[in-house]
Amino acid sequence: MKKRYVGYAVWMALSCLLYFFENNTGTRMVLTCSLLLPVAPAVRRCLFGRDETKTQPRTIPQTVDAFLAREEDEPGEVRAYLPGDPINRIHWKLSAKRDELLVRERARDRTAEEAERETTFPNEASTRARPARWAYLIGFLPIALALTLLFAIPSANQGMRALLNRLFDASEAVNAYVYDRFSVSADQSVGLTAALLATIPASLLAMTLFSGSRLAALCLAAGCVVFQIHFGLAFPAWANVILFALLIVWTLRRPWTGKTVLSVLAGVAALSVAVLLIWPGVDAATEAASESVRDRLSQMAQSFAGTAQELPAGENETRHAHTQSLTEGDREALTDREYRLVTVEEEPISMPHWINYLRIVLLLLLTVALVILPFFPFVLLNRRRKRALDARAVFQSGNVSEAVFAIFQQVIAWLETTGNGAGNLPYAQWDAAVFGKMSPDYAERFAQCEKLFEEAAYSDHEMREEQRQQVLALLNETEQALRMRADWKQRLRLRYKECLWV
Amino acid sequence: MRPEMEKVVSEIEKVIEGKRDVIEKILTALLADGHVLLDDVPGVGKTTLAVAISRTVGLNYRRVQFTPDVLPSDLVGFSVYDKGSGGFSYHPGALNDAGLLLGDEINRASSKTQSALLEAMEERQVTVDGATHPLQRPFLVIATQNSVGAAGTQRLPYAQVDRFLARLSLGYPDYEAQMAMLRNRQGANPIDKVQRVLTGEELLSMQEQARRVVSKDSILDYITRLTMASREHALVDVGVSPRGALFLDRMAKAHAWMDGRDYVTGGDVQAVFGDVCAHRVLLKDQADGKTAEDVLGDLLKTVENPDRRGRLGGMLKR
Repeated sequence: MKKRYVGYAVWMALSCLLYFFENNTGTRMVLTCSLLLPVAPAVRRCLFGRDETKTQPRTIPQTVDAFLAREEDEPGEVRAYLPGDPINRIHWKLSAKRDELLVRERARDRTAEEAERETTFPNEASTRARPARWAYLIGFLPIALALTLLFAIPSANQGMRALLNRLFDASEAVNAYVYDRFSVSADQSVGLTAALLATIPASLLAMTLFSGSRLAALCLAAGCVVFQIHFGLAFPAWANVILFALLIVWTLRRPWTGKTVLSVLAGVAALSVAVLLIWPGVDAATEAASESVRDRLSQMAQSFAGTAQELPAGENETRHAHTQSLTEGDREALTDREYRLVTVEEEPISMPHWINYLRIVLLLLLTVALVILPFFPFVLLNRRRKRALDARAVFQSGNVSEAVFAIFQQVIAWLETTGNGAGNLPYAQWDAAVFGKMSPDYAERFAQCEKLFEEAAYSDHEMREEQRQQVLALLNETEQALRMRADWKQRLRLRYKECLWV
Repeated sequence: MRPEMEKVVSEIEKVIEGKRDVIEKILTALLADGHVLLDDVPGVGKTTLAVAISRTVGLNYRRVQFTPDVLPSDLVGFSVYDKGSGGFSYHPGALNDAGLLLGDEINRASSKTQSALLEAMEERQVTVDGATHPLQRPFLVIATQNSVGAAGTQRLPYAQVDRFLARLSLGYPDYEAQMAMLRNRQGANPIDKVQRVLTGEELLSMQEQARRVVSKDSILDYITRLTMASREHALVDVGVSPRGALFLDRMAKAHAWMDGRDYVTGGDVQAVFGDVCAHRVLLKDQADGKTAEDVLGDLLKTVENPDRRGRLGGMLKR
């Protein structure tokens, strides 16, 4: 089980809990985003293909792809062996039959190889996958120009505000959150702004058509939406469904697999859930459904609590009546904001009391966590520091060879942390590496002390006090020299990572 | 290096120029009481080297040129009916009084002759007709083998190869060495000038001292990890045997003693690892051009050396 899946599951559970306790737009947004999070990369890959800039084949499969890729282990095509192919890819059975070496090729590898070929031989790169550079120029030059003009010409600027105001008028849901509108005269013309804005999709469309990219379908879809909204000419729902389904099919990458279809379905499902969640108060039926779900959830919570007192039926009744009246007639009378205020006031009535305690406990836990977490690194650091001090205590131990061993290991730690080490070589061969970076007589002293270290590590000899002093002197010299020349990164490493700087 | 060994080396260097490292390795193997396999082309001075060693160390030199028709009785001796005494009398073979045996082209010998060598090399004794005859001490076999695949050769069985402590190679001399050699041979053969600097008894006591060198647990741990890693390496079919680990320890001890120490360090093990283990490692067929030496070099790089571990072989707490 990958850590990230566990993390995601925990995150989902937390956001569901949040949504359950605190049902408002913020929690809805959180839930929506976390629902969309795992599908997004898969959908993106289905639409635009693998990211061609990443030539390395992906080693850690992600989310929806990951689950599907594991099942898909079908053998791919077979081709002749080329020098450089890994031996374990050879299809031995077929090779034996045909008397020539054949190599098994999996679908995943093929796409990775194609991507590599495209980056290494740009002339052969298919124009379908990536628009040519001049196509980008066609696309983005007018957009930049239009955006500049939008901000440069005052009337266009004013028109933008007017346009936004009209948009706010059009959507009640958005309207509910925007109290201060832009101050423009009501009869401000939006023609210029609209024309400038229209150049953006137009030039994008032109670019995609020129370069033959599948983005064209996306642009067409956007155009359709704008057309329907702006002229108020909505097609019938079934026609829209067919139209957009066709557009999606056009957009998909050409070799379709079950993976693609599943990804798209998952994407659509996540999107519709997201739409249902994020559009409060617009669709009465959805709102009522989510209301009943929430009711059921709170009932479940009550039955789970067991001891919760039975709520008087009347209060529940009034609440339902209230929602009912809202959905039927009084929608014009009550704004969305007031509606939410009403529900928020009602909630304590329908919830058992212990939920409040739970809330307080959760809040306390969160606060404690927030207070403690910043100090956690210091706790860890202190443990390291203690260990380092313990290691230093050995330096003065009565057993001199033990001390010499520990001191020399400390010298090595210093050299390694500052990037002067020589890896897995025996320390006897380190002086070549040390010699290049330190003074010549330091290297000589290092070699002498290394001899002492070997004696301490591998022999039963009694060692003398002055030998300990000799190695200690080397340690001091090393510390001073390296501390002097360490840059800030190494200083941080020395102080916090290895705790050498006690 | 110990002065007495230094004397031996410089004496041998009178004859073999520019091959100091190989001479030292052979002497190390001699100190470790093991046998040496020389893997070389003809004519680079293997025989001269063996003769020079036997003269400086005071060993009895014997030479056997192996061909397919050399019989075991040529090596270990045979019993023959003695008409005078009416019983069988034992005629010793080439091994019996040898201190240093040069077995030339050992991979041309038949397998029964090779198996006769096995007992002699491992147990330092020969058995003929139920009677066991001990060999001289010290007893050193320097065997040469032609490169595998040459005409009339067969690959030495793994069990036979495994009995050699080290496999070495002299190689061609460089320009200066060859010039020096040509110059030295203008007059008399320099092999006659080589003097004995050691006696067999001195060599035996040196071997005893080398055996008493200390290998701490961290070193034994390193040897174990190295050999086990060689068995688990992806390209290796047969890794280093436990006997190989034993020989590695012995050779490392001799190396440490040569260096004038009475304790083994990780550097000693690394210095002798390739020579002791390369012929014990059989690679798989798909080794894509890598040799056993490359694989062992990889192991030395990847296996954590004992300096980085605690004094008792455990991991250092970092």
